[in-house]
Amino acid sequence: MNSKTVLYIVKRIALAILTVWVVITVTFFVMHAVPGGPFMGEKAISPGALKALEAKYGMDKPVWQQYLTYLKDIVTKFDFGPSLKQRGREVIDVIFDGLKVSAKLGLIAAAMALVTGVVLGAVAALRRNKFIDKLIMVVTTAFVSLPSFIIGMIFLIVFVISLKVLPGNGATAGGLILPVITLSLYPMAYITRLMRSSMLDVLGQDYIRTAKAKGVAKWKIIFGHAMKNSLIPVITYFGPMIAYIVTGSIVVEQLFAVPGIGRTFVSCIINRDYPMIMGTTIILATLVVIMNLVSDILYKVVDPRINFD
Amino acid sequence: MKKVLALLLVVVMSVAVCVSCGKTDSSEKSEINVCLASEPDTIDPALNSAVDGATLIAHLFSGLSKWAQDDAGKLVIVADAATELPAPVENDDGPVTYTYTLKDGLKWSDGQDVKASDFVFAWNRAASAALGADYGYMFDVVKGYDEVSAVDDDGNPVNPDAKLAVEATDDKTIVVTLSTNVSYWNELLAFPTYFPVREDVVASENWATDPSTYVSNGAYKLSSWDHNSLIVLEKNETYVDAAEIKMDKINFYLSDDANNMLANFKSGDWQLIDDVPTNEIASLKTEYPDEFKIAGQIGTYYVCWNINEDILPDTLELGDKDPEEAREEIRNAISLLFDRNHIVNDIAQGGQVPASSFVAMGLTDADGSEFYKNAGPEGTVGYYSVEESAYEDNFNAAVETLKNYYTFNEQDQKFIDFPTMTYLYNTSEGHKAIGEYLQSVLAGIGITMNLENQEWATFLNTRKEGNYSIARNGWLADYNDPISFLDMWTTVSGNNDVQFGKGAAADLKHYSLDLTEYGYDTKVENGTWAETYDVLISTIKTCSDTAVRYKLMHVAEDMLMATGCICPLYFYTDLYMIDDSVQGFFSNPLGYKYFMYTTVSK
Repeated sequence: MNSKTVLYIVKRIALAILTVWVVITVTFFVMHAVPGGPFMGEKAISPGALKALEAKYGMDKPVWQQYLTYLKDIVTKFDFGPSLKQRGREVIDVIFDGLKVSAKLGLIAAAMALVTGVVLGAVAALRRNKFIDKLIMVVTTAFVSLPSFIIGMIFLIVFVISLKVLPGNGATAGGLILPVITLSLYPMAYITRLMRSSMLDVLGQDYIRTAKAKGVAKWKIIFGHAMKNSLIPVITYFGPMIAYIVTGSIVVEQLFAVPGIGRTFVSCIINRDYPMIMGTTIILATLVVIMNLVSDILYKVVDPRINFD
Repeated sequence: MKKVLALLLVVVMSVAVCVSCGKTDSSEKSEINVCLASEPDTIDPALNSAVDGATLIAHLFSGLSKWAQDDAGKLVIVADAATELPAPVENDDGPVTYTYTLKDGLKWSDGQDVKASDFVFAWNRAASAALGADYGYMFDVVKGYDEVSAVDDDGNPVNPDAKLAVEATDDKTIVVTLSTNVSYWNELLAFPTYFPVREDVVASENWATDPSTYVSNGAYKLSSWDHNSLIVLEKNETYVDAAEIKMDKINFYLSDDANNMLANFKSGDWQLIDDVPTNEIASLKTEYPDEFKIAGQIGTYYVCWNINEDILPDTLELGDKDPEEAREEIRNAISLLFDRNHIVNDIAQGGQVPASSFVAMGLTDADGSEFYKNAGPEGTVGYYSVEESAYEDNFNAAVETLKNYYTFNEQDQKFIDFPTMTYLYNTSEGHKAIGEYLQSVLAGIGITMNLENQEWATFLNTRKEGNYSIARNGWLADYNDPISFLDMWTTVSGNNDVQFGKGAAADLKHYSLDLTEYGYDTKVENGTWAETYDVLISTIKTCSDTAVRYKLMHVAEDMLMATGCICPLYFYTDLYMIDDSVQGFFSNPLGYKYFMYTTVSK
């Protein structure tokens, strides 16, 4: 790794921190500008109790002061404060509980999508215009166009209600099977199509023809030369895919009652649980920023010709 | 290829066999899977204000009284931790005193004895301003509550040492003094806010989030809590009535997605789900006639007006007529335009009951009859008829009334100068469908009402602040006493969404109150809302003669309904599905579900 690359990475990290700070600031002020507070319910609590609660959580102070305290606690103590709705729990614990489940769900889904997508895409490219290629294209087109909540619903009806072979609840053993598959189908199909066209492109390149002419073994051409170079577009898709999985998991987790971060995110916004909203937003934003960074760096590793400037 | 197929077949079949054998190996299992809602906000008895949390707490804790089913299947309040529920002793100056004796052998789940002082501590904690519990006001009947709950402008308790008039004279005796005798006192004792907690246990604020620190005294103990996913309760063998408890283990799955709940119910994994998708109600009713349940719930779904919204046309000449009286007539007339049977049967479809008064069905009157049946003018049920046959007459009468104030074009049967209104509701398919119906009815006679939906917390804020003209509303009672529907409309109440006596309406000298026939001196003519309704409510709260008290509550409801600001649509019901393999289940009018006496057969 040369000094240019290091400088680039440092620059990118600085930019990432700036991005996260902007996210924190914008979320904080927008959130406080939205009418309705965390202690509102169908039944109003007494003004005394409301005052006591606001004092307890520091919400009686001016917004800018709350903002500064908040930033300070995160930077110095990595403390996101207590949840206002789940009384007695710390935001960071709630988030990590959810994140553990979501990470498991997301990583398995991402790995499945990558492996299956790359293999299917390569097979389709190598068997261009044959039956298997057409089949793969038809199936992947379907998966790209069907939203995950439709696929999830179909899975629920078929495997849970009719066949009763898999549980429809993320909390039970084996409960992650259906959500993982549902979540991975879209990126899998997308990667397949990406891989197919990029592989076809690479197979038509001069250096492949040269290799063929020199009598290099077919498997060596495919795995040694074609595969590696066709992976570049797939790697650039890595960042967006993680973003998709993070946001897509919100729907899928709701559908299969998976106790992940996506469900937490939705409920804390409805509840105006300020510290929870901030916490989840920051963590998710940081994740996406990091993933994009990783994908950019990987890009460089795969193709050293790429210039960061 | 064939080998692979064969292998796959073997795997699939063995999975199927495994799944089915797991379900049939025992004829009677003492475990039940249920799903009420998502992660409860809290299961601290004092802090909880939700129905799902209350169900959990009712299984985990034992208060002085509890809900139970008698032999005839009727719901009753019986003594739980107390040996009996004694009658009150009236003091000379009005307050009443109750003395309770705790049963022998009461234990906390960690083995320590339950003492009378634990109740005293718990009640003071729940009522205190420092805790800021949603339901702290449930103690307002207990003497001393006003001092305990008072805070200064900075939110600090005015008197941190103030205590409720409840004391433990020894380890087994609790003496409590109420500022007035209330008929629902025994019911309050069965309410989670009144359950005991131990001082050393709740010292740490997060005690109620983890099984290792959660100490309770009820029929069950918290065995595990996998946050956002599953809460497991196991039978507490040290519970004093453990022999009566039939169910050994209750798994509360935490999910709030009605579609997912239904899928798990249909697959047979869950035996009870507390919510169903609205658009499936019609088909579920026919598909699962015995398992789809509609239970009564003491609540009213209604539309409320902002009293400060002027709905009179600019050009109208009223002469001597009080403009507020005109507005009252108009609002009441509009209320008659809606076909409540249509709303209940074709839109909501959940077995709801058309409402002709505000205080909900299920609340009892002084003589034990239904309060709502005695509401309204003598000899009628409610303030207008909700018979299907009466709708046409109601509608025509309403149009005639409106004609007195607005220009009616006879040719196309439409009013031409009714100001445009906006109907505010919170985002939900059900509320939207009802809003659209109301809109279509009004459009039929030329009144334009736009629909605006807001997300829940924003909606609550807008409605509370009075920034609306007409809005969807609903109210569920916390205990069986009509006052819980009436005291919310006092001027200073946090639930006074109509804005009675607030803003421009603060100076509205329009209301009259005459209580001389009930033995009071109160007689006000053309007073403000604060001078009449607020006075009436405080009179009711201090009235110790039950018969008079209920009459006064009817007077209060008459006053409220006369304003036309409340337009009741239907009385709520609680929808749930329960597998037919479950016996011994019951739920109470507040919607709490009781699983301790259930058995599941397969």
